[in-house]
Amino acid sequence: MSAGDDKRDQKAGVTTSELEGKYLTFALGKEEYGIGILKVREIIGVLEITSVPHTPEYIKGVINLRGRVIPVLELRIKFDMEPQEYTERTCIIVVELVGESGTIQVGMLVDSVSEVLNISAEEIEPPPAFGTSTDLEYILGMGKVKGKVKILLNVDRVIGEGALKQLEKL
Amino acid sequence: MAEVEMTSFEHMEAIALKIMMVDPGNLSVIGELFELIEKMVANPSVRELNVLWNMGKALGRVLEKIIIGDLADDSVENFELLADCISLMQEIDRLKGVADDKILGKFCDNMTSIGLQMNKNDLTGQDEGRAAGEAAKEVKQPEKPTGQGAEAAIPDFVQDIDLINGFVDEAFEHLEAIEVNVLALEHNPDDPDLINNIFRPFHTIKGVSGFLNLKSINKLAHTTENLLDDVRNGVRKMDSEVIDIVLNGGDFLKSMVENVKDVLNRGPEYYKEFDISEFVAQVQLVQTGGAAPSGPEPIVEPVEQPLSEQEVEPGTAEEAKKPASPAEEEKEAQKATQAKADQAPKGGIARNTGSVASIKVNVDKLDGLVNAVGELVIMQSLISQNPLIKSLNNPKLVRDFGQLSRITSELQKTAMAMRMVPIRQTFQKMIRLVRDLSKKSGKEVDLIMIGEETEIDRNMVESIYDPLVHMIRNSVDHGVQTPKEREKVGKSGKGTVYLRAYQKGGNIVIEIEDDGQGLDSKKIRKKAISRGLIKESDHLSDYELNNLIFTAGFSTADKITEVSGRGVGMDVVKKNVEKLRGKVEIVSQPGKGSLFIIRLPLTLAIIDGIIVRVGKERFIIPTTGIQESIRPEKKNLNTVYGKGETLLIRNKLLPIIKLYEIFSLEPTTTEVSDGIAVVVESEGRERALMVDELLGKQEVVIKSLGGYMANISGVAGGTILGDGRVGLILDLPGLISANDTIAESVKKKSDEVVEK
Repeated sequence: MSAGDDKRDQKAGVTTSELEGKYLTFALGKEEYGIGILKVREIIGVLEITSVPHTPEYIKGVINLRGRVIPVLELRIKFDMEPQEYTERTCIIVVELVGESGTIQVGMLVDSVSEVLNISAEEIEPPPAFGTSTDLEYILGMGKVKGKVKILLNVDRVIGEGALKQLEKL
Repeated sequence: MAEVEMTSFEHMEAIALKIMMVDPGNLSVIGELFELIEKMVANPSVRELNVLWNMGKALGRVLEKIIIGDLADDSVENFELLADCISLMQEIDRLKGVADDKILGKFCDNMTSIGLQMNKNDLTGQDEGRAAGEAAKEVKQPEKPTGQGAEAAIPDFVQDIDLINGFVDEAFEHLEAIEVNVLALEHNPDDPDLINNIFRPFHTIKGVSGFLNLKSINKLAHTTENLLDDVRNGVRKMDSEVIDIVLNGGDFLKSMVENVKDVLNRGPEYYKEFDISEFVAQVQLVQTGGAAPSGPEPIVEPVEQPLSEQEVEPGTAEEAKKPASPAEEEKEAQKATQAKADQAPKGGIARNTGSVASIKVNVDKLDGLVNAVGELVIMQSLISQNPLIKSLNNPKLVRDFGQLSRITSELQKTAMAMRMVPIRQTFQKMIRLVRDLSKKSGKEVDLIMIGEETEIDRNMVESIYDPLVHMIRNSVDHGVQTPKEREKVGKSGKGTVYLRAYQKGGNIVIEIEDDGQGLDSKKIRKKAISRGLIKESDHLSDYELNNLIFTAGFSTADKITEVSGRGVGMDVVKKNVEKLRGKVEIVSQPGKGSLFIIRLPLTLAIIDGIIVRVGKERFIIPTTGIQESIRPEKKNLNTVYGKGETLLIRNKLLPIIKLYEIFSLEPTTTEVSDGIAVVVESEGRERALMVDELLGKQEVVIKSLGGYMANISGVAGGTILGDGRVGLILDLPGLISANDTIAESVKKKSDEVVEK
């Protein structure tokens, strides 16, 4: 059960100890991000993506993951970054989320996958207050590991039901 | 009846094996065990071994108590004692039924400590039934008042959730079985097997519901069972009154079980207390004095006297005298067991014939298998198409690939077949419908079913039910005339409705045919003209006219029922059938009857589609919606200002849907005459879909795009194409609606631009 299912949780301040654990880190632009390892199902190279009409721009389309059709979204576009040509390091991280309609698998396109890090409670700080940026709700906290900052993402927020609801409205 | 008579030894083996598998609280296994014991007791060769037979009866009684929940403590110790008893019985069996004092003593001790008081004399005596019955009663007696007092107690849904879930599933199956058998009984009133087949499910429902503290269900099942018991014992004959009561009881039970299901799904606040007292009183009335011939008129020919006169008369007499006290009931039950024992050899065996061993499998697992097999097929073709492998040109490799592809396609076929179920169950529900409908409308209708063993995708079973009900209702209500009218036109008074199912080509065909009055195409024509569906000048064949009743807007017409007597809700039927990617049509001859034909795909998992290309993307259009595809000529293209382009085909002006526009793609060409126009039809709307190229026809496995993208208009799902990429399957109704709204908004926008 991840923290921050609800906005108030974050305002009330989720104790950083709850966020302690293993994270898969990946690069996106200049930043390093991390997502809880338990959400990650697998990492695959870029497959041919079939685009689906009437979806937001950041949804790149669907891929065939061993017989399952799963959606893929491009985190760069989702986070308002400049899209970039795919390189051989570009990866799709397949995450598994529990939604209302059961578990869903979603692929996230990232620039490159770095490593799996064990981040302890002391190394995690609550998300910085930039004002009222909506993007903040995607962030669980900031991990400082070996002098570098990793942005710990709330995957459920980034691609979870909330994003789904938005989708449905379109 | 082909089963070979088992010896007592074999029976004991089976029972001993079964008790090893029993877990306390697992009722289904206990039920199986109980059945085994009943079967053994019913066996004539066991009947000869008096002691063993008595022991079996005692064991059966204990199990019955456990099932009903009379023995609160169905603990592990009790089952160990039971197992012990069974080994004692095996011992007796080995001694060929010689009453060994030591063994019998042990047996009785065991039984007593489980909760059934008995002594050795019970086991050796000839008239054991009474004695043991008394003994059983002693233990049971104090149970009665609590049973009635706690009637209002709400069952413990939280704790027993798994058990109750299992019960709900099973109860539905049982209730279905009851209905089918009851209806069969109507034509065959003196078939003891059928009566047994009805009795048994009621008995099981009673037992399990009692155990789960579902009091009203338990009581209702018990009451009905009692009535059936009388029938079984020949105390009362099976007539339409009893049949009605049993059917009503079944319906009542169904609604109660449904309520239980509701509670499980939605929470205890949905629990409803059903008032069954009226029903119970009704049953009791029938049981005591209802043998009087004042009951409702039977709808079939007067039921034949099921038993000889002598047998019935004392029965009814006794029936009338009988007060409904619990003690008497007990005796009654005792007698029932006796009667069952006498006739059971026949019934017990009949039960086992014709059924093929089967297991229940989780649907997810099955779907997983089908998916994996689908993948296998695609991978196999990918590998065999690999240029490197092809260039090897090795004859052995080619042969092996051939073999591999045979195996994979066989595997795929089997996997698909696993999802298929016979249509029988759905058909059998119609028997009841026809019976009720014909009774209500005072018509005599025979339902003749053909091809019940035809298999359809299990996902389709539920969806086909509604349209079928609609059409059957239509045929009985409006198609078949009343006996008088029928005789006037020289038909026999009894109408016939045929329900047929068969496979033809890649389709399942379901036909509903009646020998009623048929459609009046002249009146339909008038109606259609007044509704503006056709023009006065249109020349339509009778067939075309008749099929207009499926048009939305036509059937909602209020008067049509009175005018031609047909067509209510037929558009709903069509919509439902189209949802299943099927087609429905009607063939009718005035005065002779009508025939509805539904064609459905074999499975919902696979569709036949045409693969088309637009720009770099490929889409699959379901073939059921495609009428033709042509390369449009320039002279047939028109632009209607503000509405887009249209294409003239065979004197019809069809709006053009440009797929690249709707899906915002880069097409190879924007010139309609350079592309291909695929004429599609859905819900009566025809459109020309403009695509770049037709790539071919293929059967594809439908995959959902997941909850994430379930509601994208114009896209029904995805599939994995031969090269491993995902192709999108078009949803024609959605696409057409989307196009209409987009055209609207585009028009608005352009208007705005102009204004600026």
